Amino acid sequence: MNDRPLEEQVHDALHRTADPLDRSPLSVTDVRTRARRIQRRRTVAAGAAVAAVLAIAVPVGLSLVDPGQRSEVPPATQPPAPTIASGIVKVDPLSAEAVEQAPVPLLDVDGPALLQPDGSTVDLPGDYEALTPYGDGWIGVAINDAPGVPWSTIEILDADLEVVNDPVATGGLVVSPDGTRVAWSEYDGTQWRVRLADAAGGPASDHLVFPPGPEDHEVAPIGFVSDVEVAATQNDGRGVLSTFVGGGDSPGALPGPVEGRSASPVTGVVAGLKGSQDGRACSAVVEGVADAGATLWETCDHVLGPISPGGQYVLGSDPEADAYGSPTLTVLDAATGEEVVTFEAALPPRTAGGFATQLAWAGDDAVVARLFTGDDSAMMRLGLDGTVERIDVASSGASGLTVAEPG
Amino acid sequence: MTATLIDMGAHERQADAPVDRQAVKDADFSAYMSARQPALYRTAYLLAGDHAGAEDLLQNAFAKLYLSWDRIRDREALDGYVRRIMVNENNSLWRRAWKRKEHSTEVMPDTGVVDVYDDGMGGALWSFVQTLPPKQRSVIVLRYYEQLSEAEIADVLGISVGTVKSQASRALAGLRARAPQSLNPHQTGEDAR
Repeated sequence: MNDRPLEEQVHDALHRTADPLDRSPLSVTDVRTRARRIQRRRTVAAGAAVAAVLAIAVPVGLSLVDPGQRSEVPPATQPPAPTIASGIVKVDPLSAEAVEQAPVPLLDVDGPALLQPDGSTVDLPGDYEALTPYGDGWIGVAINDAPGVPWSTIEILDADLEVVNDPVATGGLVVSPDGTRVAWSEYDGTQWRVRLADAAGGPASDHLVFPPGPEDHEVAPIGFVSDVEVAATQNDGRGVLSTFVGGGDSPGALPGPVEGRSASPVTGVVAGLKGSQDGRACSAVVEGVADAGATLWETCDHVLGPISPGGQYVLGSDPEADAYGSPTLTVLDAATGEEVVTFEAALPPRTAGGFATQLAWAGDDAVVARLFTGDDSAMMRLGLDGTVERIDVASSGASGLTVAEPG
Repeated sequence: MTATLIDMGAHERQADAPVDRQAVKDADFSAYMSARQPALYRTAYLLAGDHAGAEDLLQNAFAKLYLSWDRIRDREALDGYVRRIMVNENNSLWRRAWKRKEHSTEVMPDTGVVDVYDDGMGGALWSFVQTLPPKQRSVIVLRYYEQLSEAEIADVLGISVGTVKSQASRALAGLRARAPQSLNPHQTGEDAR
């Protein structure tokens, strides 16, 4: 019989198990060998950015307006064909041409504030990791660090930036590439659901309703797979994510499973992780609507992220990207997986860095990404025509800037 | 756990002497590894559950630390960096899938170390901890072995404090469910039968 609290017993059991271990099996040579292997893989993959990419597909037209002007924005589903570079493009923030306006909305994390492409600034009432126009105001994913409050909550703000809903836990929000629809997930204390609404305003409706379950079986929308359908992932509580499409109260999981990262309403596909090989995560582009789950192509050289608004390209990150980001960012043909152009961070010797986790398509011909170089960072516009620009927009503090609209 | 302070700046103080920066880096890194490897190995073992997995986790984490060495200026943050990489890699679905494929041999899993004063419950609890889902197990190891706060665990795992609490609660409930006879102080031996 043991009367001690379970927590104390667990503490003792772990210490009894581990404390007698006095092992140093690794030499510095072992570590350097592994490090070289990681570096070689990065070089071979020659691709991509971002370990956990927040897919962001923002049409240029949308990013240039405030909520009240939304109806005047032309859809970006048929963008002009850009001139496309090939091979490897070095990205050096110091030598890049500086521009003073961002092509997409940015969040000044320490402000906190929203910096709009027209140069205007919206001071925000709290911290947000994503924010997009909704009705006369905004909808955003608020970040809370108070005990007992969900880390991420969905907040609807009116034109005066007053929160008009009861914030509830969320896994994120996405905006359709043409900017007309927005979807987000909510947990109501019993079950998760994905809500869908016109970005111009009006009532939201349930799009996907999941069976009752705990909050940590989090649902996160990843993107639109058609004009009216949203794909979302759900965590099974053990860290395994599956991707669901369809609608109503019986969402269907794509076979695989597929851990979706992004989707395209133009082509109806989902990009995400789907298996492993030699210890590396492998990704695939699969059908999201017709013949759902059918694999179009796979790669183990890139971790796939956001799909361009027109559906033609998908971004890939380095599978070995670490906490400091990915050394490269590769644009792949979304239909075939063929590498189109690779942006490679020009890092000084003995300096860690890479492209960070939030990035955005700016139309179909450029990507906006934050590049870390040692302790410094810069927002970069990477054109598919090979142009590299540094976005010189000031931020309030060390946290810097991040893109505002997930897509 | 209490971190050991290591003098890894001795080379930097010799500012007037020409130095080979790579040699300095390797010397500093080697000093850190020598001082911290046994402790970090113990954490890796609790996360992985076997020695092969622990070595693999730790080697990968050290390698990534080595690649990032010049970037990390706060030397007191090194353990946290290594821990974060180990935990997140161990939690990765894809890594677990690979491990199942590559290590599904007939070799019996490591049994850990049994203290002679253990009444057997420690070994039983450890075996139950090994059956927990990876994220719950990470929370248990970080909370009750590393003795991190809930906020620190949330930071390591990249999840909310609320989720840390719920994961810990579910893990403890799971442990109670697996060993009800001996872990419930209100349950008698008669009940247990």
